[in-house]
Amino acid sequence: MPIPTAVTTSGNAADGLVQTVLVVDDEPTARIALAARLKRLGYRVIEAGDGMAGLDALRRERPDLTIVDWMMPEMDGPSFCESVRQDPALVSSQILMMTGNDQPEQIAEGLARGADDFLSKAASKHEITARVQAGLRSATLIRRLEDATEEITRKQEALERELQSAARYVETLLPVSGRVVPGVQMARIYRPSLALGGDLFNIVPWSDDFLGLYLLDASGHGVSPALRSSSFATFLRRDSLLRHVGSNDPGAILTEANKQFPLTESGHYFTIVFASLDLRCHILSYAAAGHSGALLHRRSGEVCWLTQPNLPLGFDSSTTYVTATLPIAPGDRLYLLSDGLYECPTADGELWGQDRLETTIRALGQQSLETVIAETIAEAVRWQGHEQFPDDVALMGVEIAV
Amino acid sequence: MSMHTKERPVPNGVILDMAGDLTYANREQFKTAVETIRQKGCRHLILNMAEVRFVDSSGLGLLALVSQNFKLSQGKVSMLKPQSYVREIMSLASIQKLIPIYDNEQDALGGQQRAA
Repeated sequence: MPIPTAVTTSGNAADGLVQTVLVVDDEPTARIALAARLKRLGYRVIEAGDGMAGLDALRRERPDLTIVDWMMPEMDGPSFCESVRQDPALVSSQILMMTGNDQPEQIAEGLARGADDFLSKAASKHEITARVQAGLRSATLIRRLEDATEEITRKQEALERELQSAARYVETLLPVSGRVVPGVQMARIYRPSLALGGDLFNIVPWSDDFLGLYLLDASGHGVSPALRSSSFATFLRRDSLLRHVGSNDPGAILTEANKQFPLTESGHYFTIVFASLDLRCHILSYAAAGHSGALLHRRSGEVCWLTQPNLPLGFDSSTTYVTATLPIAPGDRLYLLSDGLYECPTADGELWGQDRLETTIRALGQQSLETVIAETIAEAVRWQGHEQFPDDVALMGVEIAV
Repeated sequence: MSMHTKERPVPNGVILDMAGDLTYANREQFKTAVETIRQKGCRHLILNMAEVRFVDSSGLGLLALVSQNFKLSQGKVSMLKPQSYVREIMSLASIQKLIPIYDNEQDALGGQQRAA
């Protein structure tokens, strides 16, 4: 098998980098003559005596430009080009096809089968120089593009890893399903629309018979809302609330939060529902700011949405949020949820809606809390026809047994 | 869906006729249209929402931002003829506390006179 690949290095190209040209031709005389001319022009030259040897050299040496003869036994020039274009590792190679017969139809065929340009065997020294330089200019641009793409991919991967790590952190802010205090169970599902979500929720025992719980939604998607949410979650910690608000009252907490978290300069804000459960007196207290994602499913079957139309946080610093109360009984369940759950659309844009959500929860009745949570999400997924919610989705259920 | 806006001068104010969705995707366009009007010294911006089909949470935030910015320059913002779905979104977020909602231009302009 003839693999005559001779490598010769001569002078430098104008920009100080030696560029490499591969010459593939079965006729030794023509090949050697062209190689010599290219060497005189300052290029590093690799020679191959047939198409297969040319492909090997191309893979091994990654030359900047390949000049291939049309007429060769076994693998001719156009077939060589086709092989190159089918190989993902070689596809961007610059190929100059040499031919003695430069009819328009032949040129069209050569270009269609993968050549980038043509070089007539009768070309003058000046034309050869000019075409080789043109090919190398393209090759340089393509290399730069490839390098830039590789760089972007690498940075993108690094960013993804950062986001995943931040997402794991956000997960640690969420409560763990199970028993919160004796007689109170919690189950929840969290499905952020991107790796990082702007919805957060929590349930915290402030004493054995008093619980604080909330679900908040930062407007927007991605890193910025996630950061704002986690800062808000810090504000909502028990010690911080005692310091800033000095009260367990949901209305007082939201009235203060409204002052602490004004509208951002790009118009971002929070909506939130905040509730407290007094297990001794059996009273649910709540306040909401632009959020209508809370419902009480009583053991009796009655469903009661905790709606309280009021401005989202940060819209007007003078807003006072008022606490509403409801009596609760053993067996009642409280659900806090993101609007992303009932606002998931079908392909036609029809939203699932609060009514269908309510019907689903009613139909699931007194099945275990975990089942109700999982099946409600599954029903919303069936409605929209795919797994990925367009907005953050959180659903937390709390069952009061005492 | 994209958004188109057209401003129309009226006595003591400007009506911004809006068509399309007031959403995250169209926020820059809406902000630019409104800022241009505010910087001309307009004291009463009337947002004609008759042709707006949908307002998302971003759009809601922009409305609040616009209302705050006009207040800072001693101006006010009113809303005209929101469609029923948009009206529901506005009502759940109590936007009418910041931006009064009117069903016709005459009332919207009258509201401005009462405020003056």
